[in-house]
Amino acid sequence: MINLNDFMLVSVVLFCIGLFIIVSKKNAIMILIGIELMLNAAILNLVAFGKYDRINNGGQMFALFAIVLAAATTAVALAIILNVYRRYKTINPDKINQLKD
Amino acid sequence: MNPTLPYNDAQTVTLAIIAVVLPFAAFVVNFLLLGKSKASGWVSTLAILASKVLAANVFFKVWDNHTIHAQQVWFTIGATKVQAGILLNNLSVLMLLLVSVIALPVHIYSTAYMKDDEGYSRYFRYLSLFCFSMLALVVVDNLILLYAFWEVVGFSSYLLIGFWFTRESAIMANKKAFIMNRIGDIGLLIAILILFVQYRTFDIEQIFGNKGSIVNSVITNGQWISRLGSVPALWQYIAVGGIFLAVAAKSAQFPLHTWLPDAMEGPTSVSALIHAATMVAAGVFLLGRFYPMFNGTELTILAIIGCFTAFMAATIALTQNDLKRILAYSTISQLGFMVMAMGVGAYSSSLFHLATHAFFKCLLFLVAGIVIHQMKHIKDDNNLDIDPQNILHMGGLRKKLPLTFIAALIGGLALVGLPLTSGYLSKDGILIQAFDWSDGKADILKLVPYVALFTSWLTAFYVARLIVKVFFGDFRLQKMNPQIHIHMGDGGWQYKVPLVFLAICCLFPVFSYSPVFYEDAWLNKGFAKVNFLARENMYHYIIPVLVNVLSVVVMYGAYVVYVKRNSWSFPQTGLLFRISFNEWYIDTFYNRVIVRFVMWLSYASYWFDRKVIDGLVNLVEKIGIALAGIAAWFDKHIVDGFLHLIADIVHGIGGFARRFQGGKIQYYLYSMLLVLVTVFILKLIWT
Repeated sequence: MINLNDFMLVSVVLFCIGLFIIVSKKNAIMILIGIELMLNAAILNLVAFGKYDRINNGGQMFALFAIVLAAATTAVALAIILNVYRRYKTINPDKINQLKD
Repeated sequence: MNPTLPYNDAQTVTLAIIAVVLPFAAFVVNFLLLGKSKASGWVSTLAILASKVLAANVFFKVWDNHTIHAQQVWFTIGATKVQAGILLNNLSVLMLLLVSVIALPVHIYSTAYMKDDEGYSRYFRYLSLFCFSMLALVVVDNLILLYAFWEVVGFSSYLLIGFWFTRESAIMANKKAFIMNRIGDIGLLIAILILFVQYRTFDIEQIFGNKGSIVNSVITNGQWISRLGSVPALWQYIAVGGIFLAVAAKSAQFPLHTWLPDAMEGPTSVSALIHAATMVAAGVFLLGRFYPMFNGTELTILAIIGCFTAFMAATIALTQNDLKRILAYSTISQLGFMVMAMGVGAYSSSLFHLATHAFFKCLLFLVAGIVIHQMKHIKDDNNLDIDPQNILHMGGLRKKLPLTFIAALIGGLALVGLPLTSGYLSKDGILIQAFDWSDGKADILKLVPYVALFTSWLTAFYVARLIVKVFFGDFRLQKMNPQIHIHMGDGGWQYKVPLVFLAICCLFPVFSYSPVFYEDAWLNKGFAKVNFLARENMYHYIIPVLVNVLSVVVMYGAYVVYVKRNSWSFPQTGLLFRISFNEWYIDTFYNRVIVRFVMWLSYASYWFDRKVIDGLVNLVEKIGIALAGIAAWFDKHIVDGFLHLIADIVHGIGGFARRFQGGKIQYYLYSMLLVLVTVFILKLIWT
């Protein structure tokens, strides 16, 4: 029997991997992937906790909703990255520092 | 002018003023217009010539006639009106004439004598100023003006004595003359102030005149009583002492006489003027003006000092070798005679002697000037290293300078006082009256006329020595240096005319129609105070004979000794010789004691100033600097430090905070993570 703790563990591992990717990678696409991983960790939590919801399949509904939202934001983010690349000829976030004093 | 004066008198006063102001005008013209032009000499000479003519005019109008006194208000202080004006009485017109008459030949002589000097026009500027100050001094009627011109006389003599100001000795001499005269000036100032306090006026006529305040004031019971009040008699003594100081300084009386021999550093023509009519005569003139002030005892002191000065200076003159120095000491000696004459009451004889002395001393100095000039030419032509004033180098000049020799002879005989000269009339008058005066006096005072008598023999000796050494015998310089090239002569008319004029004035007819009896001199009759004119005792016959016979003997003795040197000579090593040669050690004494004391005092003050006063100032300064240093340190380290601390804290915080805003997105994430983790850890710990 797979209980909640196992879901949580997988979710934490996913979240931590996403976080690590975000803070360590020098590529905006990779960071975006990290974000997606963290988002998926959160969606996994949502589905897992849905078991305890009084309304049936409420968690799954939210998960679906979030996945759609994530797809939308990812599209926007990719568009931004594309624009950034056009402007700076790089997508390394460390190099994009024109607002620095 | 004073409107109450009759027309004639007003005219006379105007003439006198013009006579006085003309030399000043010459001074101004020379100073402002002529610069270094040679015309300045003739401007000054013409001015003094015109002065002389006017002075003679004034003299004949006033002499033995009546006193003219013109004045107007000069300024008012409180209730005191100070009047300034002109007082023309016998004394002042005599001096006026004398000064201008003596100054004229000196001016003419100077135009030739100073011809090659670089300071030619400067010389005439000073000379005109000098004549002006002296002429003004004798006619003013006011003690303040008198004092002012007294100072100007001193100042212009200072300029002239130090005329060759590049010579160290001339600077020393004029400094000395000036300082000595300052001592006298202080005395005169004190006397004037005391007189003002006592009589409430500066008017000479009101104080010293026939109906003046002095006549009406007496000293009784230690009080000096005048019409305006009384003060302790001590003040009268101080005033008289001050006047005496002034007289002693200007007329070179002991103990303030030492400046006069040193004043020889000026040009010889200036010496002639100083010694004859201007500078030294001012002292005797002052004595004449202030004469009523002196009482019996004070006059006796005056007589003793004059007599001592005469004797001392004569003994010094015996052994000096410098031509001008001998003449200088003879001047001091003759001035001693004048002061003594004032002291014994021979008022008119004293002024008479002043007048005759002016002529023959001026003559002798002009002679000396010619001789020195010639010696200097010889020195310059042959590159000799000699002192042109030393009489030991001279000798036998009578053939080379015949006119000069005759002039020197006449002047010398007048100085000795042989009959037919003017000196005889005045000097014997003084001696006779000194003997008259000593009758019935204490024994010690009887010595005074005898010392004076002895002094006149000494005079005969040093005059004979001077003339013999300069004009007789062989020319010693030529004897020592046989190869030298000599051409000398009496010089041009600018030299000859003054000599002839002055030589004529040294003879008796100028002053009296009788060559033998001084009582007949017109000058003696001009002064009402004379009461010795009657031939009341045998002194009047014995003294002149005694003086002259012995003088002739002494002069012949000197002639024998110095011309025929193989007979016998004087010892040059004895104590008396050394005292005389070193001028009684008076200068040495002054240098050793007074000058050294003053120098010591000034060094001590200097030290005090440097060490104590400057030290105090420096200490205050150091304290100030130290305090300022502390304040600066406090400001820098505490006040600034506090501000810097705040700034550093803010800066540090800012620096710390901005590290998070490094522009690197992932750092933001790191920090967010850090905060979250920290919050969770803290939460874990606390729960």
